[in-house]
Amino acid sequence: MTVVELPLAVFIVDDELHARNRIKDLLIDCAEQLPLVLVGEAAHGREALAKLSEIAADVVLMDIRMPEMDGIELAQHLNKFHKPPVIIFTTAYDRYAINAFEQRAIDYLLKPIRLGRLFEALTRARAAVPIRNEVLQELTPEPRKNLAIHERGKIILVPIEQVLYLRAELKYITVRTVEHEYLIEESLIALEKEFAARFIRIHRNCLVAKNEIEGFEKIAETDSNEMHWAAKLKGLTELLPISRRQQFIVKEIG
Amino acid sequence: MPRPRSINQNIIFQPLPNFRNLGVVLRLILWVNGLALLLAVFHAQSWLDIAAQMLNISTVLQPVLLGSLALLHWQQPQLQRLPYWLARLGVVLVVSMLAVLIANLGGYWLNIDQADFFNAQLIIISVTFTELVLGYFRLRERALSPAFSAARLQALQARIRPHFLFNTLNAVLGIVRTQPKRAEQALEDLADLFRMAMADAPELVPLSHELALARQYLDLETLRLGDRLRVKWQLENLPTDALIPPLILQPLLENAVYHGIEPMADGAEISIKIARIGKEIHLDVYNPRPQKTTHLGGNKIALANIRERLALQFDLEADYKVTARDDDYRVHIMIPYRREKLP
Repeated sequence: MTVVELPLAVFIVDDELHARNRIKDLLIDCAEQLPLVLVGEAAHGREALAKLSEIAADVVLMDIRMPEMDGIELAQHLNKFHKPPVIIFTTAYDRYAINAFEQRAIDYLLKPIRLGRLFEALTRARAAVPIRNEVLQELTPEPRKNLAIHERGKIILVPIEQVLYLRAELKYITVRTVEHEYLIEESLIALEKEFAARFIRIHRNCLVAKNEIEGFEKIAETDSNEMHWAAKLKGLTELLPISRRQQFIVKEIG
Repeated sequence: MPRPRSINQNIIFQPLPNFRNLGVVLRLILWVNGLALLLAVFHAQSWLDIAAQMLNISTVLQPVLLGSLALLHWQQPQLQRLPYWLARLGVVLVVSMLAVLIANLGGYWLNIDQADFFNAQLIIISVTFTELVLGYFRLRERALSPAFSAARLQALQARIRPHFLFNTLNAVLGIVRTQPKRAEQALEDLADLFRMAMADAPELVPLSHELALARQYLDLETLRLGDRLRVKWQLENLPTDALIPPLILQPLLENAVYHGIEPMADGAEISIKIARIGKEIHLDVYNPRPQKTTHLGGNKIALANIRERLALQFDLEADYKVTARDDDYRVHIMIPYRREKLP
């Protein structure tokens, strides 16, 4: 019995043209023994994310240091895909990242990339498990700069500095900006941890941007008529209730 | 145990102070006057007497001090060529002879009777002063030199970032199949750059060398970054024979590329301005700063290195200033215009 495998779909992300060329040359060499096809390339994370929401790739070879969006953030967004691609980082010199990769057994290629190492990494790729996002977050001291919203097969990037509040609702989390409202599938606890610098928890289900708080008002609770505090955010008319346990925020910020 | 002779052939610091350096001369004047003040305090009978004693000492001390400095300034090249102990003896002889000469001439003109013991005392004092001052400089040199060699080692590592080396090699491999000629040239440039960086660098090199090296470096970065890297040169009234410390410009450019160009998807412009104004050479490297920086820190070592090298080489005569604003970054260096190499 023979198993016919589809060729491995490979995507390259690197901000340097010749670095991409180098990988392409090596992929041609690999293709002699390993069926593969190059499905696309991009010069930075943002471009890659846009392209990859339209083209499916099995493996993404990505540089870490890139303008617009770096490799670590790109990997985190790609992980939210229904079928996340296998990610192989490429780096010339990044002591911090390399140590982290070694500790967590994440595959990476050192530039200049060697044919043998690339071949090995690609061969392993079919069986590889995606790197968990929590692990990716540990690779960088910085939180993501954007939230990626999947909407009707498209990806919209919302810069984190435009987000006013994050509110958990059943399965999803509402991401609110001045003009729009989006839904994402992430955990509020993880978001609170990642973006601790920007958001503060005012309720069991709600994080608000500290700098966007305009003031606090006392409102009556709908069922019990009891008065309690609510936060008013810049540019929004709606008031966000503050839970009893988080009342101290009113004193601290107000 | 005898101290082994220095392995490094290019000792940048002679234990003997450089009498042609403004900072050294100022320090000598302060030191000697400080010692004189101590002596005055020691001899004084009362508080008011200190000023009188100081004045008394100064009549001989100041002419001797300034005279010695002038003589040593003139004889500096010859002194530097002598072994240290001989040069030190020379300096002591110059100062004490000058002291005796000036004191006796002064005494003759002013008709003061000079006793033999006075001359002996004068010699003892001038020898002690000179030895104390030379000893200070020697101690200072000893204290500085291990730090200097450590800094130098660090400089070798920091001057050319591994990031640059490996990315460049990767880019060369990327063009080796399609543009072998361009790849050859890039490897040659890379070799030149590393030859300079790894050389037991001389104290000063002609500015034209440094400029050629900077251009080779920028060519290599252009290979990697393509049209994202744009460079504007402004060379005014430029004496290419001017001497500057080697690899001063290249690390500044490397920083500018790393922090100002690489984080920009569409690239940016680095501008380099070098001008001679009177007896000074002014170097300016300017690069824009991206709003959201993805490269954290990293340039501190290279910049601290340059500052230290300038301070060690020119003392107070060089100036170094970094202006970091929200959207741009400027490094300014001023060094004295030197054409002839100091021996």
